[in-house]
Amino acid sequence: MTAISDSPFRAANQYIGKSLPRPGAKRLLAGRGRYTDDIVVPRMLYAAFWRSPFAHARLGAISIEAAAAMPGVHRVFIGADFAAICKPWVGTLSHFAGMKSAPQLPLATEKVLWAGHPIAMVIAETRAQAEDALEAIEVELDELEPVVDIDAAQLPDSTLVYEEAGSNVIFRTRIESGSTASAFEDAEVVEAEFRFGRHTAVTMELRSILADYDPSDGRLTVHQSTQTPYQFHDIYARHFGLSEAHVRVVAPDVGGSFGMKLHLYHEDMAVVGASILTGRPVKFTADRMESFLTDIHARDHRVRARLAISADGMFRGIEVDDVTGVGPFSAYPRTSVVEGNQVVRLIGAAYRLKDYRADLTVVAQNKTQMSQYRAVGHPIACAVTERLVDLAGARVGLDPFEIRRRNYVTQDMYPHKTPSGYSFERLSLEECLDKLHEAMDYEALRKDQARLREAGIHRGIGIATYVEITNPSPAFYGVGGAHISAQDGCVLKVTSSGGIQCLISLSELGQGAEAIVGQIVAEGVGINPNLVRVITGDTDMTPVGGATWACRGAGIGGETALQASKKLKGRILEIAGAILQCSPGKLDISDGQILDQGGNIRMSLGELANLAYFRSDLLPKGIQPELTVAHHYAPSGYPFAFTNGIHGSLVEVDVETGFVKILKHWVIEDCGRILNPLLVDEQIRGGVVQGLGAAFFEECLYSKSGQLLNGSMADYLVPMACEMPDIVIGHVETPTQDTELGAKGCGEAGTAAASGAALNAVNDALSPFKASITQLPMTPERILKALRVV
Amino acid sequence: MDITGTYRISARREVVWAALNDPETLARCIPGCKELDAKSPEEMAAKVALKIGPVSATFAGTVRFEDIVAPAGYTLVGQGNGGLAGFAKGRAVVRLTDEGTDTILTYDAKADLAGKIASLGSRLIQSTTRKLADQFFAKFAETLGIASAVSDQSETADAADQEAHST
Repeated sequence: MTAISDSPFRAANQYIGKSLPRPGAKRLLAGRGRYTDDIVVPRMLYAAFWRSPFAHARLGAISIEAAAAMPGVHRVFIGADFAAICKPWVGTLSHFAGMKSAPQLPLATEKVLWAGHPIAMVIAETRAQAEDALEAIEVELDELEPVVDIDAAQLPDSTLVYEEAGSNVIFRTRIESGSTASAFEDAEVVEAEFRFGRHTAVTMELRSILADYDPSDGRLTVHQSTQTPYQFHDIYARHFGLSEAHVRVVAPDVGGSFGMKLHLYHEDMAVVGASILTGRPVKFTADRMESFLTDIHARDHRVRARLAISADGMFRGIEVDDVTGVGPFSAYPRTSVVEGNQVVRLIGAAYRLKDYRADLTVVAQNKTQMSQYRAVGHPIACAVTERLVDLAGARVGLDPFEIRRRNYVTQDMYPHKTPSGYSFERLSLEECLDKLHEAMDYEALRKDQARLREAGIHRGIGIATYVEITNPSPAFYGVGGAHISAQDGCVLKVTSSGGIQCLISLSELGQGAEAIVGQIVAEGVGINPNLVRVITGDTDMTPVGGATWACRGAGIGGETALQASKKLKGRILEIAGAILQCSPGKLDISDGQILDQGGNIRMSLGELANLAYFRSDLLPKGIQPELTVAHHYAPSGYPFAFTNGIHGSLVEVDVETGFVKILKHWVIEDCGRILNPLLVDEQIRGGVVQGLGAAFFEECLYSKSGQLLNGSMADYLVPMACEMPDIVIGHVETPTQDTELGAKGCGEAGTAAASGAALNAVNDALSPFKASITQLPMTPERILKALRVV
Repeated sequence: MDITGTYRISARREVVWAALNDPETLARCIPGCKELDAKSPEEMAAKVALKIGPVSATFAGTVRFEDIVAPAGYTLVGQGNGGLAGFAKGRAVVRLTDEGTDTILTYDAKADLAGKIASLGSRLIQSTTRKLADQFFAKFAETLGIASAVSDQSETADAADQEAHST
């Protein structure tokens, strides 16, 4: 790691790798956060939406006159109003060959496609007045047969969600490598059908947007709770025909995002459209029920999979069939195909396999749209793979640790290419496995388990390996035609007293991007991190870049910041050398002081900046007072920086009630170079909690007619502090050689394998009863069904 | 969603039957009933104000009588539009049997909910339905000038329905 700073004074400036707190944490804890809904601007109006009660219906007459006459109401919009000014959006990408999806507009125009689909929008002086006016709107809806079930949707006589597509299957693909037919011949085979419940992000801060279009200069300013300001900047400009330079998207404080806030929602476009049509600022903040009905859901998959093994427990081949229902259309601009695509490419990825075949079918249905959410596809791929691995171990009499050790991709195999086409630079599977074994004190746990079973206490121990996609290159979205940047930009400005302002294209959602960037810049330049101010989330200020998604902030944004800070340091030393009449190569910066090779302070950065900005008359001839640098970085090595790790889960199942107590959870992870151990652990812990939510609690339940039945926090269960176990975290560091920084991502590692480990743990507890469960969440009722109690 | 219930009413079957077909009696007894007009002997239009959990709304709808077998029972087929609050439709088979001088009324209803009442109220439908039915029959008994009707049982069978379609 000496590459970061070859300065002899590095020890004094070493901030990368330190557990420094997030700079904004205190402010947020003090209640001084400023979220989109906190922002009030003069002449602002509020929006509320009339939503379809039906999952599928033909839209008839809409009567809005009475609503328009209600107190405080300025305008009532219907679909045709926006169709006139907004170019429809279609959630397809060209690298998903043959993919189809319906064009979308802000409000429904001919059909409503899910219960919650906005049909009319009231703009009023207050939200209360807007909501009151909704009551006066009358909408004629001619109910159509809803498409709900993923099998029925594929039948030739099924009703079609989008008639023009000719089928409810919006995408189908097969991945095939080697010959699974020969791999399965004469092999031992373990197989299962898995079901994963739809769940959703449930962010503390709900979706919120404030659009302010000024017709006098054609300028649109949008404040929005999002993780991808530039993506929305592009969308609003393109779809409303605005000059891109005149659009500004600001993401102020964001209270959780988890992938949910990087998709385009109908309300976003309606709010922007309403501001354009009224010339007034318009705000909309979803209430919790609207969030349940309209925020993307995730993980609605049924996976049938089988694994062929030889008698000595070596894996021979895997066959997979994944069917996923994604709602009425593919989300924009990232598509709803990516989750399934990652499921079928990640299954079995950690293991030595040549023969692999996977089918993916993506089905449209009249439910809330489904798309990327934290750890996209990973928890499904992990749970399927790791359950099959445990079944294989049981079949041939090998312990879960042993069967994994025998089949992992080994250190001598890197770089390694999986049968599904992913390339691994280097993973640390065996090292993580060993560390987990030790951290869990596995032998002691097994002894406890056996002892307690005699007393009628049924504990289960489960482990699950994951391989995670981080630092994506344009291979993810850009090659498919999406205007989603895989690069980041960073601008560093020295202030006149020697501080640094850092403007970077990353976004801060509470995960600590600003903290790690500040550490990198402080170390890269050689000043105290308290003198570095990191500014994110404003397209008028920050350079163009990808922002925060797919665990790219540390690896790509961090490398951008590092290279920018090296560029700035070079610039500072160039000016200092000219002033001090010595070679810049013989100077260095430590704690904001410019030093010579003997370690003597020659001048401070503040003095240098003061000279440059206020006394440029004193600068040597030919030296310009340029103390601002810009740098952009795009990954150009491996298409993705894969990380890996392993989770362990200890649970206790009450076989009479089906309730599960989660006793402890372990994670050994390898995200490459660790920039801030405190923040990595925070990310892992939060991720594990979301993964355990999927394992035991969270599920969006639908009726046969496509109605969401549990759209409130009273009925939709989320994990709470009292249900969560201690989470023990250990690290292995395998830096990527693609960058100088060596960092990979860690934001999804906790979510990727928590549910898989829990699934194996519960099945381990159930094993004396010859019972097994392959459906998430593992509710008490399902566990009792598995036990044949109910 | 299936909802069933049984009431014992201290009146003869013919009396109960006549009351169950009398729009004025029904209008008095239906909780929250604001309007009830008989369009024909087999069809009524109604406006009913309801509160289900956090959702309050006035539902405008129609009820049709089918399979009428006097005085043994009929099937009610109805639907109600609550605007923003959502939409409800369903059918209920109502049966009357003699037990001495009392009448046993059983109903077996299937309801389909849409919109807010489905996503916010589904958990509360069972208790709300039970409460509304109790209110109806208390008023009904009062109208007939008899002691209060007694509920024997009421239950919903919804869990299995949800489970089957949760993926």
